[in-house]
Amino acid sequence: MEPKDLLAKLEQKSQEALQGGGASRIQKQHESGKLSARERIDKLLDPGTFVELDRFKTHRCTDFGMSDQKVPGDSVVTGYGLVNGRQTFVFSQDFTVFGGSLSLAHAEKICKVMEMAQRVGAPLVALCDSGGARIQEGVMSLAGYADIFLRNVLASGVIPQLTAIMGPCAGGSVYSPALTDWIFMVQNTSNMFITGPDVIKAVTGESVTKEDLGGAMAHNAVSGVAHFATLNDEECLAKIRELLAFLPLNNMEDAPRIPCTDDPGRRDLNLRDIVPTDPNKPYDIRDIIRSNVDNGYFFEVHEHFAKNIVVGFARFDGAPVGIIANQPSVMAGCLDSNASMKGARFVRFCDAFNIPLVVYEDVPGFLPGVHQEHGGIIKHGAKLIYAFCEATVPRLTLITRKAYGGAYCVMNSKHIRGDINIAYPTAEIAVMGADGAVNIIFREEIKKTGDPQAEKNRLVDDYRDKFANPYKAAELGYIDDVIDPADTRLKIVSALRMLRTKQATNPPKKHGNIPL
Amino acid sequence: MFSKILVANRGEIAVRIIRGCKRMGVRTVAVYSDADSRSLPVTLADEAYHLGGDRPAESYLNKEKIIDAARVTGCEAIHPGYGFLSENPAFARMTAEAGLIFIGPPADVIATLGDKIAAKKLAAELNIPIVAGHPAPVQSDEEAMAVIEKIGFPVLLKPAAGGGGKGMRVVMQPQELNSALKLCRQETRKAFGDDSIFIERYIEAPRHIEIQVLADHNGRVIHLGERECSIQRRYQKIIEESPSMAVDEELRRKMGAMACDLALRAGYRNAGTVEFILDRNQNFYFLEMNTRLQVEHPVTEMVTGLDLIEWQLRIAGGEKLTLKPEDIRLTGWAIEARICAEDPARNFIPSMGLITRYAEPLGDNIRVDSGVNAGSRVHVFYDSMLAKLICWGTDRETARKTMIQALNGYHIEGVSSNVDFANQVINHPAFIRGELTTDFIADHLLREDAKLPPPLEQLHCMVMATTLIYHLRVALVRNSLLPLKSQVGGAMTPEKYHDYVTKSENDIFNIRLRQMPAELEWEFQLGDKTYQVKTPPLEFFRRRLKLIINNEPNMFRLRYDGNFIEAAFCGIIRTFEIYEPREWELARYMPPPARRTRENVLESPMPGLVVEINVKSGDRVYRGQELVVIESMKMESAVASPCDGIVDSIHIKPGDTVETGMVLMGFK
Repeated sequence: MEPKDLLAKLEQKSQEALQGGGASRIQKQHESGKLSARERIDKLLDPGTFVELDRFKTHRCTDFGMSDQKVPGDSVVTGYGLVNGRQTFVFSQDFTVFGGSLSLAHAEKICKVMEMAQRVGAPLVALCDSGGARIQEGVMSLAGYADIFLRNVLASGVIPQLTAIMGPCAGGSVYSPALTDWIFMVQNTSNMFITGPDVIKAVTGESVTKEDLGGAMAHNAVSGVAHFATLNDEECLAKIRELLAFLPLNNMEDAPRIPCTDDPGRRDLNLRDIVPTDPNKPYDIRDIIRSNVDNGYFFEVHEHFAKNIVVGFARFDGAPVGIIANQPSVMAGCLDSNASMKGARFVRFCDAFNIPLVVYEDVPGFLPGVHQEHGGIIKHGAKLIYAFCEATVPRLTLITRKAYGGAYCVMNSKHIRGDINIAYPTAEIAVMGADGAVNIIFREEIKKTGDPQAEKNRLVDDYRDKFANPYKAAELGYIDDVIDPADTRLKIVSALRMLRTKQATNPPKKHGNIPL
Repeated sequence: MFSKILVANRGEIAVRIIRGCKRMGVRTVAVYSDADSRSLPVTLADEAYHLGGDRPAESYLNKEKIIDAARVTGCEAIHPGYGFLSENPAFARMTAEAGLIFIGPPADVIATLGDKIAAKKLAAELNIPIVAGHPAPVQSDEEAMAVIEKIGFPVLLKPAAGGGGKGMRVVMQPQELNSALKLCRQETRKAFGDDSIFIERYIEAPRHIEIQVLADHNGRVIHLGERECSIQRRYQKIIEESPSMAVDEELRRKMGAMACDLALRAGYRNAGTVEFILDRNQNFYFLEMNTRLQVEHPVTEMVTGLDLIEWQLRIAGGEKLTLKPEDIRLTGWAIEARICAEDPARNFIPSMGLITRYAEPLGDNIRVDSGVNAGSRVHVFYDSMLAKLICWGTDRETARKTMIQALNGYHIEGVSSNVDFANQVINHPAFIRGELTTDFIADHLLREDAKLPPPLEQLHCMVMATTLIYHLRVALVRNSLLPLKSQVGGAMTPEKYHDYVTKSENDIFNIRLRQMPAELEWEFQLGDKTYQVKTPPLEFFRRRLKLIINNEPNMFRLRYDGNFIEAAFCGIIRTFEIYEPREWELARYMPPPARRTRENVLESPMPGLVVEINVKSGDRVYRGQELVVIESMKMESAVASPCDGIVDSIHIKPGDTVETGMVLMGFK
């Protein structure tokens, strides 16, 4: 064969691969509001940086007439490229080829990039759009899933793993996403479930739509499985890029700093008035966060789930931090099972990837109730304590108002290795609110007096004067400083600068036993 | 001069009075309700006295408490501001009886001029023109018909007991009369407990012109020129200016003289305002006299250079009015915009909550009279006005341009405001031409068919602002992370220019952006236009952005959501989506983002009190039909049905308090 012909053959084979399932299937994909596998990679990566692997790999199934249905590359596109100029690995399932179903060859391609990502130390982004197992291949397909699960777990905590569900994701395929760090979902075009509506209908008689059962909002707001609900493919891929800019490439690197374009010493007098002195009045903690962080840019994650705790990323002085904040405007900011789990998972992620933690605390305690107790608030709350105790990254706490009871201990207190803990003058660090405390301590005395209400009010005021302030804790050294709220930003920035060289380790062990 | 006075008001006017007093060395006592305990006047005044309660009746309308407060704190006088007790003769009398000075006219003058019939009678005696109408309130429909026969259509129905335009109705033709009368009656009875109404001839395309007067104890009266307050919505003024384009020297002299006559005859004392209505043919008619300081007094202050609060105090303190008519010169032009917490996009319903960010415009010839700060709460109990922005210029166009940029930079977050709506008004070609009537807003801004597309030049400015910010953010992240990249995967060469496609609604702009050698300087190519753009350092990411475009400074307000950036500029609010060329190619496959709305239920658009429910279970309703009336911040607003259907369940009853998003009704 002439060299010219050799190149022509390469070109022809490449073209075949690039077409995936063919123009008509791609058009169908567009009509259902989705981009094709390759278009998604284009949107995700910096222009012109994608390098494909295994373009010519095909499945090896010969049963059920599969031997004459082969598409080069099979039903997944894999490779690497740059996101914001940084190395990133990616696989993108191609729904136009056999419905994106997972053959052993498909799994092998995925495993190859996963291993390479882990070896190189760069994040892996999975773009899922698959009908499930390649049924024609039987147990080979299942083996493929298990191979992927294993690699997900081995890479966990080594490189950031991000998954976007951009189409169906049912049965066994849901577990690979579930093992990764972040799950993005697209509203109306994606869903995740172990058993679909048909099976549910057959087994229990309940009828439910795919969207209600496992759509983006179902998993973002109700189950908490997913962390982002995006409007369409475009927004989903843009959000992935946004998140990646906060993360280090692997667990040995520091999170990436960018030049700071916001004055580190910027004061904000508004902060003096945002926290209401009345402990029962709500406010939005995000107003304080946005005022403090660089350029007011707070990237909230897991926004729709357990809204009584707010978590997300931001930068101080150009360096990323993870923010965990009680949200007084939802359920008074108390901790319940869901909030504890949400917080714990976020803390562990940040700790795994060397991202300092900044905690905003205004918490009246754990949520009381039979439902909570029987639902295991004890073990779920323990997860949050475990996560904080274990974390060795720089850790800051700012108490804006309430820090009551056990929740005080949990929320990154000094006693569990909080590095710098500061408070606003409005802070109340106590076992419980003044009202409750007086009811317990002075129950008998109040009954005896002629005017119980007046006596109670007097005692409540008295208790509030004594304990409903940050100074008792400050006297004991449990608080490093009480600050003027206008100076919050500067105080946080200087603490983070000081802690940049922090070294802390946990005792060597195989692994701890977090109460799951 | 007094040594200490009590300010019986709240919000911006309380702040204004306190500031004025400070300049004169007069000590002040602020009074406050529970809700206002951390408000701006309380922190600014020398002393603050707690009246208690949240509702006006318990606090700012409680005469006894306020007079007690003045006594306890040792004040010599009470300044009532505007609204609340400012035109309450009983309060003025009680103040005097308590041995204190009421800063305003004597009680009986307030009583006479507050009575519309008596005031008109007085005006008629002085040969001041009044609008044709029946001098007494009308009780029955028959009587109404007889009156209308005499004065002719169109007519205006006005509640006898009302004020502020509440319950007023225009009837253009005889067929509309019956239902209009009935509705007007109903509303009046509900609002004021009295259903008698006035009928008068309706003046078409009217302008609202008022004359500021000052009078002292010795019968000396002067006027300080006019203000035009034609731009109104629901009879509430929004934009005011002085002087007026409709008033020439001759007319000013005539109106001024009549206003002074009236004040003199009524035995007026202190600052007051005589309101007129002006028709197309320069005919003016007396409307009423306001016996207090007006909200819009600053425009007069800006063009006359006088401090009206100072003069109020001096006159009340017994000083002579030393100003002579020839001393009064109207220099330049002043425009005022009232900044209110309301949502123009949702039929101006009041907006409540915490002001989380607040930044006022600063600069030469810009004055802000504000009653709030970041951290202030906007309550359901009081008026929705937050502040007033007043701009001055050597001529009207200069003042207008200053105000446009001032409004562009006026940043309020936490509650919705009418900042951009006000900007839309002053940017309107009809406003520029000075073609004002009291129907201006209804005619030019609210009617769908009258809406104008935004000027291309202004859209271009917004495109540049949003695209530049987007570019800088992406470039900042990309360039600073670049050193961390591995060698694999192709090198990125720095580009000489950047292409973007920016989309907003149906407008698509192709942009080529070039960084100039000087830092912070760019060149934009937008279609066949080229712009030179400069920005001050440290402005990116900010929610207020200043760009110098072709040597003209422009302020923008921005909000970010990924590659969606919302910009507000010159009254235009638009969301811009910014794409790189390849992204734009892919973007055409994206369906418009689907937003899920709750179907088959009626949700409350705002917090408030249920006043009325117009339907019952089982009724058939149509999309847009007004089903529930909710009162909030003294304003009643109707909630319209979101769909056609049959009312299935009603979850509220009159008197209930509702929150935003609460389900009021279900349909089937």
